[in-house]
Amino acid sequence: MTTRILTTHDEPPRPDDPSPGPRGLRREATAAGRQGGSLAGLATMIRFMLRRDRWRLPLWVLGLAALTAYFANAIGTVMDDEALASMTVFAQNPIMGLISGPGYGFENITLPRFIAGVYGVFLMLGAAMMNITTISRHTRVEEQTGRAELIRANVTGRNTQLIAALLVAVLMNAALSVLMTLAFRYSAAEPEPLSSVFLFSLGVGAVGCVFAAVTAVTSQFSAFARAGSGLAGAVLAGAFVIRGLGDMSAVQNGDLDWLAWLSPLGWAQQTAPFVLDRWWPLLLHLGLAAALILIAVGLQSKRDLAAGILADRLGRERAGASLSTPLGLALRLQRSSLTWWSIGVFTMAVVFGSFTGAMADSAAGMPPEIIDVMGGAAGIVDGYLGYMAMYFAMIITAYAVLAVLGLRAEEQGVRTEPVLAAAVGRSSWLLSWTCVTALGALWLMILAGVGDGVGAALSTGDWGLFGPSVLGHTAQTAAVWVLLALAVALYGFAPRLMGLTWIIFAYSAVMTLFGQMLQLDAKILDTSVFRHVGQYPAQDLSAEAVLLLLGVSAVLVCLGVLGFRRRNLVTA
Amino acid sequence: MITTTPSEGPAISLTDVVKTYGRVRALDGLDLEVARGEVHGFLGPNGAGKSTTIRILLGILTHDSGRVRLLGEDPWKHAVALHRRLAYVPGDVELWPGLTGGEAIDLFARLRGGVDDRRRDELIDRFDLDPRKKGRTYSKGNRQKVALISALASNVDLLLLDEPTAGLDPLMEAVFQECIREAKDEGRTVLLSSHILAQVEALADQVSIIRKGRIVESGALSELRHLSRTAITVDVTTDVPQLRTMDGVHDLERIGTRLHFSADTAQLPAIVRTLGEHEIRSLTATPPTLEQLLLRHYDDTDSNDQPSDTQILTTAQSPAGLTSRSFTEVRS
Repeated sequence: MTTRILTTHDEPPRPDDPSPGPRGLRREATAAGRQGGSLAGLATMIRFMLRRDRWRLPLWVLGLAALTAYFANAIGTVMDDEALASMTVFAQNPIMGLISGPGYGFENITLPRFIAGVYGVFLMLGAAMMNITTISRHTRVEEQTGRAELIRANVTGRNTQLIAALLVAVLMNAALSVLMTLAFRYSAAEPEPLSSVFLFSLGVGAVGCVFAAVTAVTSQFSAFARAGSGLAGAVLAGAFVIRGLGDMSAVQNGDLDWLAWLSPLGWAQQTAPFVLDRWWPLLLHLGLAAALILIAVGLQSKRDLAAGILADRLGRERAGASLSTPLGLALRLQRSSLTWWSIGVFTMAVVFGSFTGAMADSAAGMPPEIIDVMGGAAGIVDGYLGYMAMYFAMIITAYAVLAVLGLRAEEQGVRTEPVLAAAVGRSSWLLSWTCVTALGALWLMILAGVGDGVGAALSTGDWGLFGPSVLGHTAQTAAVWVLLALAVALYGFAPRLMGLTWIIFAYSAVMTLFGQMLQLDAKILDTSVFRHVGQYPAQDLSAEAVLLLLGVSAVLVCLGVLGFRRRNLVTA
Repeated sequence: MITTTPSEGPAISLTDVVKTYGRVRALDGLDLEVARGEVHGFLGPNGAGKSTTIRILLGILTHDSGRVRLLGEDPWKHAVALHRRLAYVPGDVELWPGLTGGEAIDLFARLRGGVDDRRRDELIDRFDLDPRKKGRTYSKGNRQKVALISALASNVDLLLLDEPTAGLDPLMEAVFQECIREAKDEGRTVLLSSHILAQVEALADQVSIIRKGRIVESGALSELRHLSRTAITVDVTTDVPQLRTMDGVHDLERIGTRLHFSADTAQLPAIVRTLGEHEIRSLTATPPTLEQLLLRHYDDTDSNDQPSDTQILTTAQSPAGLTSRSFTEVRS
């Protein structure tokens, strides 16, 4: 991977040779040396990063552009004017505000407005993920693995890698914006004018740039790459939730719409392409990114290579009594992630729940179509709580799948081998890990139910909502477990295919969130695992569905164990 | 499941074991036997199949054909029961970033069936390890110490050590050697895979040399020495013409009054008798080192068939009596 670095050393510079070095570090070093040197070797570093990312970069950028093309063409083809008009009401409901955006211009809806308003935020999330992983990969991961030391030992400045990574990220975002403009412009949606299309795409790129800068800062704190990217992910989740709450308020003409202005995702949506066509919110992105980069450079200049700002403290000399069994180890290894998820899920649930009151108050003024979507006759409050149960099931599925993926990371990190080399059977290890994850998912669902229940009860004054909320959320755990078990089964047989779980998950989530809106047949919608348990309290819980999902989960876990007992372990 | 095992019979026995990864034959009919209570050196360059063999013995990898017995049992079927009776140290220890070294030591030992606390503390002291540090802050050598301490503090019959001292400094290497001698005195069996020849020479009773997935030489170190050549330098006033025609004399060379040659160890008595008839001012005989034993198996093939072969040769110290032919040939 370090070919470019190595080639600069292939021919050692001769002392009697007056010409500057063949290319790369030496020449740039002298140029940068005059400028203070903290950016020496920048051009070489950028070329090197582009070389490393010669597949990754185009895959991300083309992938997101292709997703844009897919949304634009699919919606553009499926929706006729009549269908679109019926969307007007639908797309203005508070749930759509929460998951999609403020819905600018939906009262006089057009295809481009619909696509930008409903799908734009998901493209922004994709761009943010692209930037978080890119920055982490080229900065903290390099430091953690010790490769940064090899680079820094050459004529490279202290901030070269960070700045080079940021420039590569900016380049990726620029390429993304251009390709997205083209993909959207020449789609079946036929958006006009071109400047609005560009504004929309530039907003997505601007969000990407902000999260590149966010990751540059969060990566400074811990010596551990996962902590840095995890923190950046938490900022992204926070940005999504805050603008969601603001937009939910906005579509109900509430007075909390300013919340959207606290989020970089919100700024991009506030450009309102195809409606207001405001360019100035992009300046907010620019300013925030610049400030964050200055902070990152400042922090980086103060710390040692490969060190965090937060120092490692000494720990226990002896293992506690619980750390004696595979179950104890699995719990210990998943503990910190579960703690953070618990905090996040509970906070989110209380916040979401506390919007129940506002929802109930505005229900009187809502058109019957929306009432219908929100759970119909059972009333808007029950509908909202039932929907939240399903919504949290999706979020917590992400936790469960990530936790099972951790099992693979353990194996690839050669940490499973010494455990199995002790008197621990394979079934015992796999089941211990699965058990901790499954109970963790159950715990998080209960926590979400409690949070939503407390929020709902406080905002409406009706504590009768608490019990049903907890029950409705808890029941949805069955759906979470199916995808968890699928990941376990894939781990047992073909760990390399574990990513398939994400595809099934994404499919189920899209079907559940957008399927009804796309007016798909109920039979197709029912292929989503999240649509079977029933959105209690708005709908009845289906005991058969819960038992069926539990049965499927059990079978999948057994398959996983069978597979794991048979296969070779991944070794160093 | 606890199984009763006959206490006689070899500790480790592999017969005609084949392991393939796709088209690559990692083990190609490997035979290996380790008797109970012995320290068995397992030598070979990187990629020869040492780690694969040990992982098959652990029941972590399957094998395609052949028979594998560990303490009399099939390690794939009875992995858990067997693992109560053995401890394993890999050459590249990975620890959990958030667990301290002390926690990892206890965890491994407890998962094996128990830890001798007094022994654990004594070993931590001898290996000079701070057990309160987190796994991510340890250097390679310290991670290695964690696995070693945990293995040595467990009361087990068998130690499977796969290049266990990679990254340890010479002081710690000495502590390690002491500990292995103690383990031997306590009657434990040790399979010590290594490419540090001095370590194997100092510790092992028996040695097996692996090359490309096959055992090419196996036996007591003294027996193996017998098969090899002794380097001899004689300062003698007159020429010794008989040497030119004698069996067992190789690469004879005369520089000034000094004769250099290498002698088949089996022919030494005859050679010494012949030399005895001449005016000898000094005589130096260097017994074959393990390097030479290894080189016997690695210098007679193409130099480019396996890069790691060359690495072994060039890092080995050139023994005085080793033929210059073998070195130049392999290095070219």
